[in-house]
Amino acid sequence: MNYRQDFPIFKNRPDLIYLDSAATSQKPQAVLDAVYGFYKSMNSNVHRGTYPLSEEATEAYEDARKTVSSFINAAHPHEVIFTRNATESVNLVARAYGDAFLNKGDEVLLTKMEHHSSIVPWLQLKDRKGIVLKYLDVSKEGRLIFDPKLITAKTKFVSVTAMSNVLGTIPDLKPIITAAHAVGAKVLVDACQSAVHIKTDVQALDADFLVFSGHKLYAPTGIGVLYAKTDILNQMPPFLGGGDMIHEVFLDHFTPGELPNKFEAGTPHIAGAIGLKAAIDYVNKIGFPVIQKIENELTEYLLGKFKALPYVRIIGPADMMGRGPVISFVIEGIHAHDMAEGFATKGICIRAGQHCAQPLMDYFEIPATARISLAIYNTKDEIDAAIRTLEEIYKYFNP
Amino acid sequence: MDLYAQNILDRYRTPFFKDKKIKADLKRHEANHSCGDAVDISLSTKGGKVIDFSFTGAGCAISMAAADMLGELVTGMMEDEILKLTKDDIYKMLGIEISMRRSKCALLGLITLQNAILAEQKKPLKTWGDY
Repeated sequence: MNYRQDFPIFKNRPDLIYLDSAATSQKPQAVLDAVYGFYKSMNSNVHRGTYPLSEEATEAYEDARKTVSSFINAAHPHEVIFTRNATESVNLVARAYGDAFLNKGDEVLLTKMEHHSSIVPWLQLKDRKGIVLKYLDVSKEGRLIFDPKLITAKTKFVSVTAMSNVLGTIPDLKPIITAAHAVGAKVLVDACQSAVHIKTDVQALDADFLVFSGHKLYAPTGIGVLYAKTDILNQMPPFLGGGDMIHEVFLDHFTPGELPNKFEAGTPHIAGAIGLKAAIDYVNKIGFPVIQKIENELTEYLLGKFKALPYVRIIGPADMMGRGPVISFVIEGIHAHDMAEGFATKGICIRAGQHCAQPLMDYFEIPATARISLAIYNTKDEIDAAIRTLEEIYKYFNP
Repeated sequence: MDLYAQNILDRYRTPFFKDKKIKADLKRHEANHSCGDAVDISLSTKGGKVIDFSFTGAGCAISMAAADMLGELVTGMMEDEILKLTKDDIYKMLGIEISMRRSKCALLGLITLQNAILAEQKKPLKTWGDY
Protein backbone atom coordinates (compact mmCIF):
# COMPACT_ATOMS: atom_id res chain seq x y z
CA MET A 1 0.00 0.00 0.00
CA ASN A 2 1.38 3.38 -0.98
CA TYR A 3 0.43 5.94 1.65
CA ARG A 4 2.38 8.69 -0.06
CA GLN A 5 -0.53 9.30 -2.42
CA ASP A 6 -2.72 10.26 0.56
CA PHE A 7 -0.59 13.40 1.04
CA PRO A 8 -1.42 16.08 -1.54
CA ILE A 9 1.80 18.06 -0.99
CA PHE A 10 3.71 15.35 -2.88
CA LYS A 11 1.45 15.84 -5.91
CA ASN A 12 1.78 19.61 -5.71
CA ARG A 13 5.56 19.46 -5.28
CA PRO A 14 6.62 16.32 -7.14
CA ASP A 15 10.33 16.88 -6.46
CA LEU A 16 9.94 17.32 -2.71
CA ILE A 17 11.97 14.96 -0.55
CA TYR A 18 10.69 15.62 2.95
CA LEU A 19 12.87 14.10 5.66
CA ASP A 20 11.84 16.41 8.51
CA SER A 21 8.66 14.87 9.87
CA ALA A 22 9.92 15.11 13.45
CA ALA A 23 9.62 18.90 13.04
CA THR A 24 6.15 18.60 11.59
CA SER A 25 4.47 15.94 9.52
CA GLN A 26 2.77 16.47 6.18
CA LYS A 27 -1.03 16.32 6.19
CA PRO A 28 -3.17 13.68 4.49
CA GLN A 29 -6.16 14.64 2.33
CA ALA A 30 -8.54 13.30 5.00
CA VAL A 31 -7.28 15.89 7.50
CA LEU A 32 -7.47 18.75 5.00
CA ASP A 33 -11.01 17.69 4.11
CA ALA A 34 -12.07 17.57 7.75
CA VAL A 35 -10.75 21.07 8.49
CA TYR A 36 -12.21 22.51 5.29
CA GLY A 37 -15.47 20.66 5.88
CA PHE A 38 -15.87 22.20 9.31
CA TYR A 39 -15.43 25.77 8.08
CA LYS A 40 -17.45 25.09 4.93
CA SER A 41 -20.55 23.65 6.50
CA MET A 42 -20.43 23.51 10.28
CA ASN A 43 -18.68 26.69 11.42
CA SER A 44 -20.03 28.09 14.68
CA ASN A 45 -18.80 28.34 18.24
CA VAL A 46 -18.95 25.43 20.65
CA HIS A 47 -20.57 25.04 24.08
CA ARG A 48 -22.70 28.18 23.73
CA GLY A 49 -25.04 27.69 20.84
CA THR A 50 -28.75 27.81 21.32
CA TYR A 51 -29.20 26.60 17.78
CA PRO A 52 -28.59 23.31 15.93
CA LEU A 53 -25.51 24.50 14.00
CA SER A 54 -23.61 25.15 17.22
CA GLU A 55 -24.83 21.87 18.64
CA GLU A 56 -23.34 20.12 15.62
CA ALA A 57 -20.00 21.89 16.07
CA THR A 58 -20.01 21.06 19.79
CA GLU A 59 -20.74 17.44 19.01
CA ALA A 60 -17.91 17.28 16.45
CA TYR A 61 -15.49 18.94 18.89
CA GLU A 62 -16.43 16.57 21.72
CA ASP A 63 -16.33 13.65 19.33
CA ALA A 64 -12.71 14.61 18.59
CA ARG A 65 -12.04 14.45 22.32
CA LYS A 66 -13.51 10.95 22.46
CA THR A 67 -11.30 9.88 19.56
CA VAL A 68 -8.17 11.21 21.30
CA SER A 69 -9.29 9.56 24.53
CA SER A 70 -9.55 6.10 22.90
CA PHE A 71 -6.34 6.69 20.92
CA ILE A 72 -4.32 7.06 24.13
CA ASN A 73 -6.58 4.69 26.11
CA ALA A 74 -7.64 7.30 28.68
CA ALA A 75 -10.21 6.16 31.24
CA HIS A 76 -12.52 9.05 30.37
CA PRO A 77 -12.75 11.68 27.57
CA HIS A 78 -12.76 14.53 30.12
CA GLU A 79 -9.15 13.56 30.91
CA VAL A 80 -8.23 14.95 27.48
CA ILE A 81 -7.63 18.72 27.49
CA PHE A 82 -7.14 20.47 24.16
CA THR A 83 -4.25 22.94 24.09
CA ARG A 84 -2.26 24.69 21.37
CA ASN A 85 0.57 22.16 21.41
CA ALA A 86 2.65 19.97 23.70
CA THR A 87 4.63 23.02 24.87
CA GLU A 88 1.48 24.68 26.16
CA SER A 89 0.45 21.39 27.79
CA VAL A 90 3.73 21.16 29.74
CA ASN A 91 3.46 24.82 30.73
CA LEU A 92 -0.09 24.24 31.93
CA VAL A 93 1.16 21.45 34.20
CA ALA A 94 4.17 23.40 35.49
CA ARG A 95 1.96 26.43 36.19
CA ALA A 96 -1.26 24.90 37.47
CA TYR A 97 0.09 21.75 39.14
CA GLY A 98 3.60 23.01 39.90
CA ASP A 99 2.54 26.29 41.49
CA ALA A 100 -0.11 24.58 43.62
CA PHE A 101 1.67 21.43 44.74
CA LEU A 102 5.45 21.88 44.49
CA ASN A 103 7.44 23.77 47.07
CA LYS A 104 10.94 25.00 47.80
CA GLY A 105 13.40 22.11 47.93
CA ASP A 106 11.08 19.64 46.17
CA GLU A 107 12.89 17.74 43.44
CA VAL A 108 11.77 17.50 39.84
CA LEU A 109 13.56 14.79 37.86
CA LEU A 110 14.04 15.33 34.12
CA THR A 111 16.38 13.70 31.60
CA LYS A 112 19.22 15.14 29.55
CA MET A 113 17.40 14.12 26.39
CA GLU A 114 14.36 16.31 27.03
CA HIS A 115 13.26 18.94 24.54
CA HIS A 116 13.56 22.54 25.78
CA SER A 117 9.78 22.59 26.21
CA SER A 118 10.12 19.95 28.93
CA ILE A 119 13.01 21.76 30.63
CA VAL A 120 12.27 25.49 30.51
CA PRO A 121 8.81 25.42 32.21
CA TRP A 122 10.49 23.65 35.16
CA LEU A 123 13.38 26.14 35.16
CA GLN A 124 10.72 28.85 35.35
CA LEU A 125 9.10 27.02 38.27
CA LYS A 126 12.53 26.84 39.89
CA ASP A 127 12.73 30.63 39.61
CA ARG A 128 9.25 31.03 41.10
CA LYS A 129 9.32 28.40 43.85
CA GLY A 130 12.89 27.24 44.41
CA ILE A 131 12.36 23.63 43.33
CA VAL A 132 15.47 21.56 42.60
CA LEU A 133 16.01 20.07 39.13
CA LYS A 134 17.83 16.78 38.61
CA TYR A 135 18.54 14.99 35.36
CA LEU A 136 18.81 11.36 34.33
CA ASP A 137 21.92 10.81 32.23
CA VAL A 138 22.31 9.64 28.67
CA SER A 139 24.92 7.12 27.57
CA LYS A 140 27.36 7.83 24.73
CA GLU A 141 25.25 5.42 22.63
CA GLY A 142 22.27 7.71 23.22
CA ARG A 143 20.37 5.49 25.66
CA LEU A 144 18.68 6.83 28.76
CA ILE A 145 20.41 5.66 31.95
CA PHE A 146 17.85 5.14 34.69
CA ASP A 147 19.63 5.56 37.99
CA PRO A 148 16.95 4.78 40.64
CA LYS A 149 19.05 6.63 43.25
CA LEU A 150 17.97 9.90 41.61
CA ILE A 151 14.42 9.22 42.77
CA THR A 152 14.35 10.12 46.46
CA ALA A 153 11.84 11.01 49.15
CA LYS A 154 12.19 14.60 47.93
CA THR A 155 11.21 13.73 44.35
CA LYS A 156 7.75 15.13 43.71
CA PHE A 157 7.63 15.15 39.93
CA VAL A 158 9.26 13.28 37.04
CA SER A 159 9.07 14.34 33.38
CA VAL A 160 10.45 12.06 30.70
CA THR A 161 10.20 11.79 26.94
CA ALA A 162 8.73 8.73 25.26
CA MET A 163 11.01 9.32 22.23
CA SER A 164 13.94 11.70 21.92
CA ASN A 165 13.49 14.29 19.16
CA VAL A 166 17.26 14.24 18.58
CA LEU A 167 18.42 10.67 19.21
CA GLY A 168 15.28 8.77 18.29
CA THR A 169 15.73 6.80 21.53
CA ILE A 170 12.62 5.18 23.01
CA PRO A 171 13.37 4.83 26.74
CA ASP A 172 11.80 2.12 28.85
CA LEU A 173 9.39 4.27 30.87
CA LYS A 174 7.75 1.64 33.05
CA PRO A 175 10.56 1.24 35.66
CA ILE A 176 10.89 5.01 35.96
CA ILE A 177 7.16 5.51 36.46
CA THR A 178 6.95 2.66 38.97
CA ALA A 179 9.88 4.04 40.98
CA ALA A 180 8.40 7.56 40.89
CA HIS A 181 5.02 6.36 42.10
CA ALA A 182 6.68 4.40 44.90
CA VAL A 183 7.76 7.72 46.46
CA GLY A 184 4.47 9.43 45.62
CA ALA A 185 5.84 11.52 42.72
CA LYS A 186 3.73 12.36 39.68
CA VAL A 187 4.97 11.54 36.19
CA LEU A 188 4.56 13.45 32.92
CA VAL A 189 5.30 11.63 29.66
CA ASP A 190 6.23 13.70 26.61
CA ALA A 191 4.73 11.72 23.73
CA CYS A 192 5.31 14.46 21.16
CA GLN A 193 7.61 12.37 18.96
CA SER A 194 6.30 8.93 19.84
CA ALA A 195 2.54 9.41 19.33
CA VAL A 196 2.74 9.05 15.53
CA HIS A 197 5.07 6.05 15.60
CA ILE A 198 4.12 3.83 18.52
CA LYS A 199 0.94 3.02 20.46
CA THR A 200 0.27 5.35 23.39
CA ASP A 201 -1.50 3.77 26.36
CA VAL A 202 -1.75 6.06 29.38
CA GLN A 203 -3.33 3.36 31.56
CA ALA A 204 -0.75 0.70 30.73
CA LEU A 205 1.98 3.28 31.44
CA ASP A 206 0.12 4.56 34.49
CA ALA A 207 1.16 8.07 33.41
CA ASP A 208 -0.25 10.89 35.50
CA PHE A 209 0.18 13.38 32.67
CA LEU A 210 0.92 12.89 28.98
CA VAL A 211 1.35 15.54 26.30
CA PHE A 212 1.62 15.66 22.53
CA SER A 213 1.10 18.00 19.58
CA GLY A 214 -1.29 17.30 16.75
CA HIS A 215 0.94 18.60 13.99
CA LYS A 216 3.54 15.83 14.33
CA LEU A 217 0.68 13.33 14.06
CA TYR A 218 -0.57 14.36 10.58
CA ALA A 219 -2.97 16.91 12.15
CA PRO A 220 -2.97 20.72 11.75
CA THR A 221 -0.68 23.01 13.73
CA GLY A 222 -2.20 24.81 16.71
CA ILE A 223 -3.88 21.81 18.34
CA GLY A 224 -2.26 19.88 21.17
CA VAL A 225 -3.27 17.53 23.94
CA LEU A 226 -2.81 17.31 27.67
CA TYR A 227 -3.91 14.08 29.27
CA ALA A 228 -4.12 13.87 33.06
CA LYS A 229 -5.86 11.56 35.52
CA THR A 230 -9.27 12.76 36.68
CA ASP A 231 -8.44 13.19 40.35
CA ILE A 232 -5.33 15.23 39.54
CA LEU A 233 -7.24 17.52 37.16
CA ASN A 234 -9.88 17.99 39.84
CA GLN A 235 -7.26 18.97 42.43
CA MET A 236 -5.45 21.36 40.12
CA PRO A 237 -6.47 25.03 40.00
CA PRO A 238 -7.40 26.34 36.54
CA PHE A 239 -4.64 27.60 34.22
CA LEU A 240 -5.90 30.41 31.99
CA GLY A 241 -8.99 32.30 33.07
CA GLY A 242 -11.79 33.36 30.75
CA GLY A 243 -14.89 32.14 29.01
CA ASP A 244 -15.84 28.47 28.94
CA MET A 245 -13.63 27.53 31.92
CA ILE A 246 -15.95 28.98 34.56
CA HIS A 247 -19.02 27.85 36.40
CA GLU A 248 -20.05 31.17 37.93
CA VAL A 249 -18.49 34.64 37.91
CA PHE A 250 -19.18 37.40 40.42
CA LEU A 251 -17.56 40.78 40.90
CA ASP A 252 -15.24 39.45 43.58
CA HIS A 253 -14.85 35.75 42.88
CA PHE A 254 -15.50 32.91 40.44
CA THR A 255 -15.98 29.17 40.54
CA PRO A 256 -14.28 27.05 37.87
CA GLY A 257 -16.22 24.86 35.48
CA GLU A 258 -16.15 21.10 35.31
CA LEU A 259 -13.67 18.97 33.41
CA PRO A 260 -12.54 19.33 30.70
CA ASN A 261 -13.80 22.93 30.25
CA LYS A 262 -12.02 24.03 33.44
CA PHE A 263 -8.73 23.97 31.49
CA GLU A 264 -9.99 25.25 28.15
CA ALA A 265 -10.46 29.01 28.51
CA GLY A 266 -11.66 30.89 25.46
CA THR A 267 -12.81 29.62 22.10
CA PRO A 268 -10.74 26.54 21.32
CA HIS A 269 -9.21 25.50 18.00
CA ILE A 270 -12.36 23.67 16.94
CA ALA A 271 -11.25 22.97 13.38
CA GLY A 272 -7.88 21.82 14.71
CA ALA A 273 -9.50 19.32 17.07
CA ILE A 274 -11.66 18.01 14.21
CA GLY A 275 -8.52 17.78 12.06
CA LEU A 276 -6.77 15.88 14.85
CA LYS A 277 -9.65 13.41 14.96
CA ALA A 278 -9.33 12.88 11.22
CA ALA A 279 -5.57 12.34 11.62
CA ILE A 280 -6.09 9.76 14.37
CA ASP A 281 -8.76 8.00 12.31
CA TYR A 282 -6.23 7.92 9.46
CA VAL A 283 -3.50 6.45 11.69
CA ASN A 284 -5.94 3.92 13.19
CA LYS A 285 -7.05 2.82 9.73
CA ILE A 286 -3.45 1.96 8.83
CA GLY A 287 -2.65 0.65 12.31
CA PHE A 288 0.60 0.81 14.26
CA PRO A 289 1.84 -2.65 13.22
CA VAL A 290 1.85 -1.52 9.57
CA ILE A 291 3.22 1.95 10.40
CA GLN A 292 6.08 0.40 12.37
CA LYS A 293 6.84 -2.14 9.66
CA ILE A 294 7.21 0.65 7.08
CA GLU A 295 9.13 3.02 9.32
CA ASN A 296 11.43 0.40 10.83
CA GLU A 297 12.34 -0.86 7.39
CA LEU A 298 13.21 2.68 6.26
CA THR A 299 15.15 3.42 9.45
CA GLU A 300 17.14 0.19 9.23
CA TYR A 301 17.88 0.91 5.57
CA LEU A 302 19.15 4.41 6.41
CA LEU A 303 21.26 3.20 9.35
CA GLY A 304 22.80 0.57 7.06
CA LYS A 305 23.68 3.21 4.45
CA PHE A 306 25.19 5.43 7.16
CA LYS A 307 27.34 2.58 8.44
CA ALA A 308 28.91 2.27 4.99
CA LEU A 309 30.09 5.91 5.22
CA PRO A 310 33.00 5.95 7.70
CA TYR A 311 32.87 9.74 8.11
CA VAL A 312 29.26 9.76 9.37
CA ARG A 313 28.89 9.65 13.15
CA ILE A 314 25.38 8.74 14.29
CA ILE A 315 24.32 10.62 17.43
CA GLY A 316 21.96 8.16 19.09
CA PRO A 317 21.44 4.40 18.93
CA ALA A 318 23.18 2.98 15.86
CA ASP A 319 20.97 -0.11 15.77
CA MET A 320 17.22 -0.69 15.74
CA MET A 321 16.88 -1.60 19.40
CA GLY A 322 14.66 0.88 21.27
CA ARG A 323 14.73 3.57 18.64
CA GLY A 324 12.29 5.33 16.32
CA PRO A 325 12.71 6.85 12.84
CA VAL A 326 14.56 9.97 14.01
CA ILE A 327 18.28 9.84 13.16
CA SER A 328 20.81 12.54 14.06
CA PHE A 329 24.31 12.58 12.64
CA VAL A 330 27.43 14.71 12.38
CA ILE A 331 30.44 14.79 10.08
CA GLU A 332 33.74 16.03 11.46
CA GLY A 333 34.65 19.36 9.84
CA ILE A 334 31.27 19.99 8.20
CA HIS A 335 28.79 22.01 10.22
CA ALA A 336 25.23 20.70 10.21
CA HIS A 337 23.98 23.91 8.61
CA ASP A 338 26.32 23.46 5.68
CA MET A 339 25.02 19.92 5.28
CA ALA A 340 21.41 21.16 5.35
CA GLU A 341 22.30 23.76 2.72
CA GLY A 342 23.73 20.99 0.54
CA PHE A 343 20.58 18.91 0.96
CA ALA A 344 18.44 21.98 0.21
CA THR A 345 20.13 22.43 -3.19
CA LYS A 346 18.70 19.01 -4.12
CA GLY A 347 15.23 19.77 -2.76
CA ILE A 348 15.80 17.57 0.30
CA CYS A 349 14.42 18.92 3.58
CA ILE A 350 16.37 17.88 6.66
CA ARG A 351 16.76 19.63 10.01
CA ALA A 352 20.06 21.05 11.23
CA GLY A 353 20.78 22.71 14.53
CA GLN A 354 20.39 22.05 18.21
CA HIS A 355 16.80 20.77 17.91
CA CYS A 356 15.71 22.62 21.06
CA ALA A 357 18.01 20.32 23.04
CA GLN A 358 21.01 22.42 24.00
CA PRO A 359 21.84 20.39 27.16
CA LEU A 360 22.04 17.25 24.99
CA MET A 361 24.35 18.98 22.47
CA ASP A 362 26.57 20.10 25.36
CA TYR A 363 26.61 16.53 26.69
CA PHE A 364 27.78 15.14 23.33
CA GLU A 365 30.16 18.14 22.94
CA ILE A 366 28.86 18.97 19.48
CA PRO A 367 27.62 22.35 18.24
CA ALA A 368 24.70 20.90 16.32
CA THR A 369 23.52 17.83 14.43
CA ALA A 370 21.89 17.17 11.10
CA ARG A 371 18.72 15.13 11.48
CA ILE A 372 16.73 12.93 9.16
CA SER A 373 13.30 11.91 10.40
CA LEU A 374 10.99 9.55 8.55
CA ALA A 375 7.28 8.91 8.24
CA ILE A 376 4.98 6.50 6.42
CA TYR A 377 5.14 8.52 3.17
CA ASN A 378 8.92 8.24 2.78
CA THR A 379 10.63 5.80 0.42
CA LYS A 380 13.96 4.03 0.02
CA ASP A 381 14.49 6.05 -3.17
CA GLU A 382 14.38 9.21 -1.07
CA ILE A 383 16.94 7.76 1.33
CA ASP A 384 19.16 6.82 -1.63
CA ALA A 385 18.91 10.41 -2.89
CA ALA A 386 19.82 11.71 0.57
CA ILE A 387 22.84 9.41 0.79
CA ARG A 388 24.05 10.40 -2.71
CA THR A 389 23.73 14.04 -1.65
CA LEU A 390 25.59 13.41 1.58
CA GLU A 391 28.47 11.86 -0.37
CA GLU A 392 28.55 14.91 -2.64
CA ILE A 393 28.56 17.26 0.36
CA TYR A 394 31.46 15.33 1.88
CA LYS A 395 33.43 15.52 -1.37
CA TYR A 396 32.68 19.21 -1.70
CA PHE A 397 34.23 19.98 1.69
CA ASN A 398 36.98 17.35 1.37
CA PRO A 399 38.09 17.59 -2.27
CA MET B 1 27.71 20.23 -5.87
CA ASP B 2 28.28 23.97 -5.75
CA LEU B 3 27.22 25.31 -2.39
CA TYR B 4 29.14 28.48 -1.75
CA ALA B 5 31.27 30.91 -3.75
CA GLN B 6 34.93 29.93 -3.87
CA ASN B 7 35.99 32.91 -1.71
CA ILE B 8 33.69 31.74 1.11
CA LEU B 9 34.89 28.17 0.90
CA ASP B 10 38.55 29.25 0.79
CA ARG B 11 38.23 31.44 3.85
CA TYR B 12 36.35 28.72 5.71
CA ARG B 13 39.05 26.16 4.95
CA THR B 14 42.04 28.48 5.33
CA PRO B 15 41.19 31.39 7.55
CA PHE B 16 43.65 34.27 8.12
CA PHE B 17 42.45 35.45 11.51
CA LYS B 18 41.26 32.27 13.23
CA ASP B 19 43.16 31.42 16.43
CA LYS B 20 45.64 34.23 15.67
CA LYS B 21 47.70 35.12 18.76
CA ILE B 22 47.21 38.79 19.56
CA LYS B 23 47.45 40.96 22.67
CA ALA B 24 43.74 41.51 23.12
CA ASP B 25 42.13 44.24 25.19
CA LEU B 26 38.56 43.55 24.03
CA LYS B 27 36.88 40.12 23.97
CA ARG B 28 33.36 39.02 23.27
CA HIS B 29 31.45 35.72 22.85
CA GLU B 30 28.18 35.46 20.95
CA ALA B 31 26.28 32.42 19.73
CA ASN B 32 23.38 31.62 17.51
CA HIS B 33 21.82 28.76 19.43
CA SER B 34 19.18 27.83 16.90
CA CYS B 35 21.86 26.55 14.56
CA GLY B 36 24.74 26.08 16.97
CA ASP B 37 27.18 28.69 15.67
CA ALA B 38 29.45 30.34 18.23
CA VAL B 39 32.14 33.00 17.82
CA ASP B 40 34.68 34.60 20.15
CA ILE B 41 36.27 37.76 18.85
CA SER B 42 39.38 39.39 20.33
CA LEU B 43 40.53 42.88 19.44
CA SER B 44 43.65 44.83 20.10
CA THR B 45 42.91 48.56 20.04
CA LYS B 46 44.91 51.75 20.29
CA GLY B 47 43.25 55.18 20.68
CA GLY B 48 39.91 53.80 19.51
CA LYS B 49 41.42 52.15 16.45
CA VAL B 50 41.47 48.40 15.86
CA ILE B 51 45.03 47.35 15.24
CA ASP B 52 44.66 43.59 15.51
CA PHE B 53 41.83 41.06 15.19
CA SER B 54 41.46 37.42 16.05
CA PHE B 55 38.58 34.97 16.40
CA THR B 56 37.84 31.45 17.46
CA GLY B 57 34.62 29.60 16.93
CA ALA B 58 32.66 26.68 15.64
CA GLY B 59 30.05 27.13 13.00
CA CYS B 60 29.00 26.79 9.42
CA ALA B 61 31.10 27.91 6.45
CA ILE B 62 29.28 31.23 6.11
CA SER B 63 29.58 32.19 9.78
CA MET B 64 33.27 31.29 9.93
CA ALA B 65 34.19 32.89 6.58
CA ALA B 66 32.25 36.04 7.52
CA ALA B 67 34.06 36.32 10.85
CA ASP B 68 37.40 35.86 9.11
CA MET B 69 36.69 38.40 6.35
CA LEU B 70 35.54 40.83 9.03
CA GLY B 71 39.11 40.81 10.39
CA GLU B 72 40.38 42.25 7.14
CA LEU B 73 37.56 44.78 6.89
CA VAL B 74 37.95 46.27 10.35
CA THR B 75 41.68 46.18 10.97
CA GLY B 76 42.69 49.86 10.95
CA MET B 77 39.11 51.01 11.40
CA MET B 78 37.96 53.30 14.23
CA GLU B 79 35.54 51.77 16.76
CA ASP B 80 32.85 54.32 15.91
CA GLU B 81 33.10 53.40 12.23
CA ILE B 82 32.73 49.72 13.13
CA LEU B 83 29.55 50.49 15.07
CA LYS B 84 28.12 52.03 11.88
CA LEU B 85 28.62 48.85 9.84
CA THR B 86 25.32 47.39 8.62
CA LYS B 87 23.97 44.12 7.31
CA ASP B 88 24.47 45.41 3.76
CA ASP B 89 28.15 46.10 4.42
CA ILE B 90 28.58 42.47 5.47
CA TYR B 91 26.65 41.12 2.49
CA LYS B 92 28.79 43.30 0.20
CA MET B 93 31.95 42.01 1.91
CA LEU B 94 30.83 38.40 1.40
CA GLY B 95 29.88 39.09 -2.20
CA ILE B 96 27.20 36.41 -2.32
CA GLU B 97 23.42 36.19 -2.03
CA ILE B 98 22.45 35.56 1.58
CA SER B 99 19.07 33.90 2.06
CA MET B 100 16.88 34.79 5.02
CA ARG B 101 17.62 31.46 6.71
CA ARG B 102 21.37 32.19 6.61
CA SER B 103 21.33 35.86 7.61
CA LYS B 104 22.25 35.12 11.23
CA CYS B 105 25.19 33.02 10.03
CA ALA B 106 26.45 35.98 8.01
CA LEU B 107 25.92 38.49 10.81
CA LEU B 108 27.19 36.54 13.83
CA GLY B 109 30.69 38.00 13.48
CA LEU B 110 29.37 41.56 13.18
CA ILE B 111 27.10 41.37 16.21
CA THR B 112 29.95 39.87 18.25
CA LEU B 113 32.34 42.60 17.13
CA GLN B 114 29.92 45.47 17.68
CA ASN B 115 28.87 44.14 21.09
CA ALA B 116 32.53 43.84 22.10
CA ILE B 117 32.87 47.56 21.49
CA LEU B 118 29.45 48.52 22.93
CA ALA B 119 30.14 46.51 26.10
CA GLU B 120 33.46 48.33 26.51
CA GLN B 121 31.71 51.69 26.00
CA LYS B 122 29.03 50.58 28.50
CA LYS B 123 26.33 51.19 25.89
CA PRO B 124 23.24 49.03 25.22
CA LEU B 125 24.13 45.89 23.28
CA LYS B 126 22.80 45.05 19.82
CA THR B 127 20.24 42.31 19.37
CA TRP B 128 19.36 40.40 16.18
CA GLY B 129 16.34 42.65 15.68
CA ASP B 130 18.71 45.62 15.24
CA TYR B 131 19.85 44.23 11.90
